[in-house]
Amino acid sequence: MTAPVIMLRNLSLQIGDTVLLDSVDLNVTAGERIGIIGPNGAGKSSLLRLLGGTATGRVTGDISVLDRDLRQRLSRREQRTFHSEVGKVFQSLQLVPRLSTLDNVMIGALARHRSPLSWARLFPVAELDVAQQILRKVGLETFATVRTDCLSGGQRQKVALARLLMQRPRLILADEPTAALDPTAAAEMAALLASCARDAGIVMLTVVHEPALLPLLAERVIGLRQGRIVFDVPTPAVTAPHLAALYQGILHRETPRYAPPYPNLALTSSSDAILKVES
Amino acid sequence: MRLKPHASRLRLLAAVAAYALLTLACLWSLHATGDLSLGRQPWRNLQQTVAGFSHPSFLDAWRGEQRREYRSDDGTLLRVEDRQKVERQFLTSLAEATWATFRIATLGSLLAAVAALPLSLLAARNLAAPWPLRWLATGLLNALRSVHTLVFGLVLVGIMGLGPTAGLFAIAAHSLGTYGKLYAESIETLDMFAIDAVRAVGASPAQVFFLAVWPAVLPQIVSSHLYIWEYNIRDATILGMVGAGGLGLLISEAVSLFQWDRLATILLVVVALVALFDSASRRVREASA
Repeated sequence: MTAPVIMLRNLSLQIGDTVLLDSVDLNVTAGERIGIIGPNGAGKSSLLRLLGGTATGRVTGDISVLDRDLRQRLSRREQRTFHSEVGKVFQSLQLVPRLSTLDNVMIGALARHRSPLSWARLFPVAELDVAQQILRKVGLETFATVRTDCLSGGQRQKVALARLLMQRPRLILADEPTAALDPTAAAEMAALLASCARDAGIVMLTVVHEPALLPLLAERVIGLRQGRIVFDVPTPAVTAPHLAALYQGILHRETPRYAPPYPNLALTSSSDAILKVES
Repeated sequence: MRLKPHASRLRLLAAVAAYALLTLACLWSLHATGDLSLGRQPWRNLQQTVAGFSHPSFLDAWRGEQRREYRSDDGTLLRVEDRQKVERQFLTSLAEATWATFRIATLGSLLAAVAALPLSLLAARNLAAPWPLRWLATGLLNALRSVHTLVFGLVLVGIMGLGPTAGLFAIAAHSLGTYGKLYAESIETLDMFAIDAVRAVGASPAQVFFLAVWPAVLPQIVSSHLYIWEYNIRDATILGMVGAGGLGLLISEAVSLFQWDRLATILLVVVALVALFDSASRRVREASA
């Protein structure tokens, strides 16, 4: 076993009086793929932002990501190197609309090519070949010269994935990578993301809102509720009581966005039970 | 049923009333000083002017009399003029002046467009430049914008002497303020998400600028540039009146000699120039969107 890629010890994150994360302990080792589930406001996105080094707020406890102590202030240069090693798929990280698909993919390689040539979007031919290969992998090789504002939502998400692969990160943080997609496209996207991470042996943390996608994306599942880790188990071991513990007392405020059916779980009966608790 | 008007509705009514009062005050004071008048013979003057305009002088270049005789009151021949030759000469000088005006507008606009870039980066609120610099940039842009091109022209002619250089700098000085404001506004409406995405892969600030900011603002920069450029072509036509080169000299000459036929020709050229520019710039704008 090598040194953990992510290590959190008794970690808390606060903004003002609001506790976003509350004494979280987490160890992630090389090659692991982890799903994070939990109701809205549980701290899932805060956790990802914290690991990506973009969280704001007061941090207590220890946090180490990719051999860096994130509680220490990194220099701008170190920060950029860190960012280049952490691939992020967030809803808020969009493509540059007026650039072509290929140019958007090449943005992933910016950290490796810092010469002023990159300002004019000129890159070594070898890198362009790599980008073409990646586009073939995600099925967009014929769209290389198309501007990304002419693509569909699903295609854009694939371009974002291609940009992520071009970046060659050591760690992938994905916040609802499939939120904007229809169920088929979501499954395809999740499978693609997972296979890419697995092939390259990259550690991946994914916030998942669609339980059906969990087995595709993760071998280990962390349940968050009110900033605390409620459970941390292998994916096949996630059972109805686990989910009940996460969403209990919350369903009454929101319509159940989390469709219960979850292939390897017989949840229908217990979801009735959850609803009964509410009424 | 009792109706209670909302406070904001009342404030709107008060604002409308204040506006009406202001308008009335302007009208009344004009009337009180006796300045609200159309002159002694507005109809006759209007007819004369329209008659002059209805026969633009350029027609004479082909259809004019070859021997127009000018005689004094007692019938002695003063001089004979070949109208065709005279008007052809005028058309040549008109073409030269038009080209001069176009040059002034083009170079002045480009100078201002380039100089406004760094100032707009400082003035844009979302880029968060240090506040003394931001205030300085905003103040400078506002000051430049509030002084008319013609005033800059008068001042710069005094400094640089008569000629197109003074006109060029006058155009640049005034439109610098407009450019800066338009640029800053287009930067402020930028979609920050794409910028954050480029930052998130570890790109340097220069890379973020060239791969995220620049592609996003380019269409708006091109569009503002074409708009102000066209505006400056119109603006540059009057600069000649203060000796800063171009069509303005011909305009002031025609006006002071009551040559409405020549003024008509000049204005037709200006209209044609602006229309031509507009149709060309629309294509560029569409291509850059």
